[in-house]
Amino acid sequence: MSSVAFTAQACRALLKRDLRAVARSRSQLYSSLLFPLMILAILGTGVSKGLDPSLVRDGDYSSFLVPGIIVMTLVFSSTFSSASYYYDRDWGMLKVLLATPHEPRVIMLGKSLAGAVIGSGQGLAVLLVAALIPALNLEWQYGVLPGILLAVVAVVMLSLLLNGAAQLVARRIRTMQGFHLVMNLVLFPLLFFSGAFFPLDKLPVWLKVLATINPLSYPLDLLRVAAYANDSGYFGLVVDLLVLGALTPLVFWAGLQRRPPTA
Amino acid sequence: MQEEPGLEAAASVQTAASETHGAHAVQAIDLSLDYGDRRALDGISLNVPQGDIFGLLGPNGSGKTTLVSLFLGLLEPTSGQALVLGRPPAPDVRQTIGVLFQESCLDPNMTVAETLELHGEMFGLRPPLLRMRLEDLLARFGLAERQRDATRTLSGGLKRRLELARALVPSPQLLFLDEPTTGLDPEGRADLWEHLHRINQDGTTIVVATHDMLDADRHSRRVAFINQGRLTALGSPEELKRELKHDSVRLEWPTLTPALLAELSRIQGVGRATWLPPLLHVTVDSARDFVPRVFQLAGDGIRSLQIQESTLEDAYFQMVGRGDEAT
Repeated sequence: MSSVAFTAQACRALLKRDLRAVARSRSQLYSSLLFPLMILAILGTGVSKGLDPSLVRDGDYSSFLVPGIIVMTLVFSSTFSSASYYYDRDWGMLKVLLATPHEPRVIMLGKSLAGAVIGSGQGLAVLLVAALIPALNLEWQYGVLPGILLAVVAVVMLSLLLNGAAQLVARRIRTMQGFHLVMNLVLFPLLFFSGAFFPLDKLPVWLKVLATINPLSYPLDLLRVAAYANDSGYFGLVVDLLVLGALTPLVFWAGLQRRPPTA
Repeated sequence: MQEEPGLEAAASVQTAASETHGAHAVQAIDLSLDYGDRRALDGISLNVPQGDIFGLLGPNGSGKTTLVSLFLGLLEPTSGQALVLGRPPAPDVRQTIGVLFQESCLDPNMTVAETLELHGEMFGLRPPLLRMRLEDLLARFGLAERQRDATRTLSGGLKRRLELARALVPSPQLLFLDEPTTGLDPEGRADLWEHLHRINQDGTTIVVATHDMLDADRHSRRVAFINQGRLTALGSPEELKRELKHDSVRLEWPTLTPALLAELSRIQGVGRATWLPPLLHVTVDSARDFVPRVFQLAGDGIRSLQIQESTLEDAYFQMVGRGDEAT
């Protein structure tokens, strides 16, 4: 068996383990779908009725919110998945895995890929449910299949990016509480300034600058262009893909570089 | 039949080992490790021959677990070399190593079978062989009926058995066990050692880090005493006990004073006296001669007395030393 196949088998085994864990944790499974849909219903309906609806296409704020809710789902999912590092460390499983015939980065690769697959699955499930709700009007301006393909690219790239970033944070923070605190402190502002909950076009310049340096803005823009918008988006398809294509491998790779402490 | 990557890697490691370092399963060459300013291991050198049952003995915090971690490649030495089957413990060398850690290392949400399956897959075992190996281990360790149960529902003894079964999934040539009998009742301990002897008879070298002198005395062919990160003695239990006085006397003596202790140590035939108030441990040539003398000294100050032939624990106290020693 080649070393690639050997590594692939290890990654597959770790993915299978984490998928089983998610499938067994019904609360995580249900909340990962119900929470975003609840936000969509409450925030979408409330803002459609209470704010200036002319800011979004057809005044339909609920549909506008769909890409943002998917990004939010991925942010939560990557935080939960990466927290499993702390469980594995505390249960002693990390030590057991590191004593197997693999480099530490293979173990972390397997865990990160598992987190990315689970996050992507959850994000795409939210997109599927949103697409099936008649009240939501997704545009699919490039056609349904190309649109879905673009959405999958955005979701997978963002999921890898977030899991890589979460691994970077987890290597440096000793406690799970500290990890959640840092992730919330970093990711929530990023989420709010990405255009997830309101369009970027009409924002003041300083917020536009923040949105431009915010890595979450680009997959969000890509998702919006793919599924919701009838224009070229805030940054444009090419810029979105270029930024994601450069940033995601870099952050994901960086997340695998440091040996995880076992105590 | 499908080629098994684990066996392939194990075979190449075995070949390299026999070509370069003959019959040593494990070697430490002037091995030191610092945690910041603290020296956890200090210039340890030892060899473990292949096929041996080797005991690493020492009190808690003496450096046994650190030494095992270096052999597993989980830590990098500050200086010196740790060799396993003649090579540094790189990932491909770990293909031939099984390990049982000191503390329980199980995912509470995985089932017994999943725990073994994950480990087999991490070692590159594929379904037909993996299935056979798992069924064999589940049967051998009496876990077959519990294979679908989550590990959190197992008793301490069953958890330990599962962890040993997991360590054996890759059919290791070398097995590291860190305090394997922790939390086991006497029956569980006997059971575990029976398994270990069978594994050893099949050719697996076993390195046991423990502070249980009785287990080490009974089951190890050779032992190393480690204290405060240093190797203080190395040899077979018989060799290490050879220098001892014949009998070992343990006394519960709350009224013992330093003056009495000094007087006691001048009695003819007394070897080493170790005082951990209220207990006094003395090695002597003949308990028959010593006991009447000690009662003359103590009057009615002795609450209990126990006599036995000297053990590895006596050798340990003699070489490592603890408490206030009179000689």
